[in-house]
Amino acid sequence: MLLHARCFAAAFGAAVLLAGCGGDDNGGKGKTPDFAHQDAFPSTYTVPESKPVLIRGATLLTGTGEELDNTDLLLSDGKIKRIGENLKAPKDAVEVDGKGKWVTPGIIDVHSHLGDYPAPAIESSQDGNEMTSPNTAEVWAEHSVWTQDPQFPLALAGGVTTMQILPGSANLFGGRSVTVKNVLGRRVQDMKFPGAPYGLKMACGENPKRVYGGKGVAPSTRMGNVAGYREAWIKAAEYKKKWEDYAKKGGDKPERDLQLETLAGVLSGQILVQNHCYRGEEMAVMMDIAKEFGFHIAAFHHAVEAYKVADLLAENNVCAAMWADWWGFKHEAFDMTEANIAIVDHAKACAMIHSDSAIGIQHLNQEVAKAMTAGRRAGFDIQPKDAVVWMTMNPAKALGIAEQTGSLEKGKMADVVVWSRNPFSVYAHAEKVYIDGELMYDRNNKKRQPRSDFELGILDPEGVRP
Amino acid sequence: MNSTLNRIVLNCALLLGLVSAPVHAETLLIKGGEVYTLADAGKLGRADVLVRNGRVEAVGPSLSVQADRVIDAVGKIVTPGVIAPLSELGLTEIGAASATNDYAVTGDSIGSAFDPLPAYNPKSTLIPFNRAGGVTRALVFPAISLWGDNVGTPQRVFAGRSFAIELNGDFDSVVATDLAQKAYFGEAGGQLAGGSRASAFAKVKNALSEAREYRDHRDAIRRGEWRELNHSLADLEALQPLIEGKRPLMLTANRASDILEAIQLAKDFNLSLVLQGGAEGWMVAQQLADANVPVIVDALNNLPIAFESLGARLDNAALMTKAGVTIAISGPDYASTHNVYLARQSAGNAVANGLDYEAGLKAISTNVAKIFGIEGGVIEPGAVADIVVWNGDPLEVTSYPEQVLIAGEPQSLVTRSTRLRDRYLNPQPGHEAAYKY
Repeated sequence: MLLHARCFAAAFGAAVLLAGCGGDDNGGKGKTPDFAHQDAFPSTYTVPESKPVLIRGATLLTGTGEELDNTDLLLSDGKIKRIGENLKAPKDAVEVDGKGKWVTPGIIDVHSHLGDYPAPAIESSQDGNEMTSPNTAEVWAEHSVWTQDPQFPLALAGGVTTMQILPGSANLFGGRSVTVKNVLGRRVQDMKFPGAPYGLKMACGENPKRVYGGKGVAPSTRMGNVAGYREAWIKAAEYKKKWEDYAKKGGDKPERDLQLETLAGVLSGQILVQNHCYRGEEMAVMMDIAKEFGFHIAAFHHAVEAYKVADLLAENNVCAAMWADWWGFKHEAFDMTEANIAIVDHAKACAMIHSDSAIGIQHLNQEVAKAMTAGRRAGFDIQPKDAVVWMTMNPAKALGIAEQTGSLEKGKMADVVVWSRNPFSVYAHAEKVYIDGELMYDRNNKKRQPRSDFELGILDPEGVRP
Repeated sequence: MNSTLNRIVLNCALLLGLVSAPVHAETLLIKGGEVYTLADAGKLGRADVLVRNGRVEAVGPSLSVQADRVIDAVGKIVTPGVIAPLSELGLTEIGAASATNDYAVTGDSIGSAFDPLPAYNPKSTLIPFNRAGGVTRALVFPAISLWGDNVGTPQRVFAGRSFAIELNGDFDSVVATDLAQKAYFGEAGGQLAGGSRASAFAKVKNALSEAREYRDHRDAIRRGEWRELNHSLADLEALQPLIEGKRPLMLTANRASDILEAIQLAKDFNLSLVLQGGAEGWMVAQQLADANVPVIVDALNNLPIAFESLGARLDNAALMTKAGVTIAISGPDYASTHNVYLARQSAGNAVANGLDYEAGLKAISTNVAKIFGIEGGVIEPGAVADIVVWNGDPLEVTSYPEQVLIAGEPQSLVTRSTRLRDRYLNPQPGHEAAYKY
């Protein structure tokens, strides 16, 4: 709390701007400057106080590659406290009969636009893409989030506890993403995942060249795209050096530049690159650019052709976020294979599902089930304990939050879903969804089904949207 | 069922002209599967299906017949093939590549007369892909295109005519033409008609009125001895089957009040109406049932994505069915026509949200055939042998077809998706070695 107040003051006090936040990161001699400005809009998410929860005798898919049958899971103080057989319930614990139920870590969607492209989708609420320049690294997706988007609670009912909200893909550099917990809040800061690093949305391929080429400006080709990235990284490297020199040697304070600051954040490893990229050869080029400028790509999104470069992804430690079966809406989405996720996983690269859809985000368990089935048909032995990783642990890795969530492991956030049955079934329902140990959603209790402001008095002034 | 009865059934079928002259008397026996006939016989726990010359000849336990070919279906599920009620199959290849799209026209040049049939391409890659997903037949409709270059261009409230295909990829795979006319109410209609849904209503009404006028004064109008009409003669000709009640008008509408307007319009003009969308259909389910209006619903759409669909919910299909509405479930809109086979997943979700299981199966087969008056959707003597043998529950996301028959012919289940998979998993010697990693 103290730290937040200090940073808050720093962000608004022009004189000490960049000079006090996060433990003298900017000004201190020999320290890396804080390009991410993690605390400019700090997370105000708080873990509600909840009673301990003991889920008894369920089938656990841990997200670490294990299936534990007839096992108890104890949540306490917002954390996963214990996993085992015949656990003793703390005095005030709420016991949940897990017989016949399956339990997974909360689902994490690395690609969402909820809040930025909310429902209802009317012109005035389309805030997801600043399509005014091929480089808008200076914008932050969180500043567009409409916290009352009724799509958040729908995703919660599908078991989604964490998501990354990204700017759109019209630009080479679309801006910063934000990772949020799927909770209601008045401010976007009330939703922000504490400590999650920022992402930088980049886009390959058709979209940037279509949007800007169509306006008669660069880029209009894929080679134009690449020139655009490299020019920007050259400037970012200069900017980074200026601030590092200032941190080391002092002298005249460099001028702050929001756009370059985000790119420099990537070069210094503080911000993760989240790269919309469909084609295999473009992913290969992007990994070469990353090498040229010394940064790391966290994940390729919409990686329809990831199976073509699965070995390169593994070699470069780059994740791929994929759909189960979407294809054909664009030329770069034509070479789809349903075994994509399984093939990437088999090559020992970090593979995952993602939605990019307010419908898809509600059924990611079903999407994983389809990808698992396609993998089996391709000849791989993939069990639910393996496939669950594609919607929990691997997305956590891609977002840089794997230390905190993504698996059922002692000490991690109690982000947990109780399913009515094996989640890889079209008939499975998320019955209970816990976020940091709090029962955020209960299929059988209307009072535990959050509704956004928008849903009040809709269709029936005395009711909520059905 | 004994073989004498089988012959009688077949003979009757021949007399009724249901069976085209056999090229060669080929028989095929699907043995021992759990058969959902979706017909009077209901579900048969372990049964055989005998197919002769592209038609079902008999269904029953342990048929003692010799067949040219036997498919072992023990432990498998056997159903009629999936029928997509709404698609642009054969009219599109790549969504964002306008040259490959033929389902929509812009401008004021043509409306109800638009017939996309000459543009149909049975060699489209979408056809084997959806066939491998269990789709054997599909309705093909024109549509408005609100993608890319077409954004904001004026289009007519009437999208045009439709046809039906079987998904064998043959050049003669169109099985029926002029099945329904498609038009837009609600927000889309309002946009197309100049800014108000009331204008869309007026335009449809005016077209139907002029179609009647044309019917009653055809000769005078054709001779040019009549007042000037708002619609071309071609458009008015295209509407004749509608006002005669021979073909349905398929109207898109989602808001409850828009649906009621559509029902009233159908009454006023004695139309056979099919509703597409119906997001708030559950609110007026009784009126839909009373007016005998079937609804083609996107069962996965529970988003209040527009102000006309604030009441969207996952149990819409279940609630309408309970009220007595005939429903068909389309491929989820968000997955586009490339994945119409995902109507199965939508139906599975509808079942998970209260729809009766067999009603779910019928919503993606039997009901579609009934609504549009085409063959398919049942396994009973005389029926066209569009049959799928599944490894499990066809509505389950982990299931897939192991055999697909279209008019009795076993189909290839190879697709571009499986070809690409296999090339990268097992590159063949020679130039494919480049794909090895």
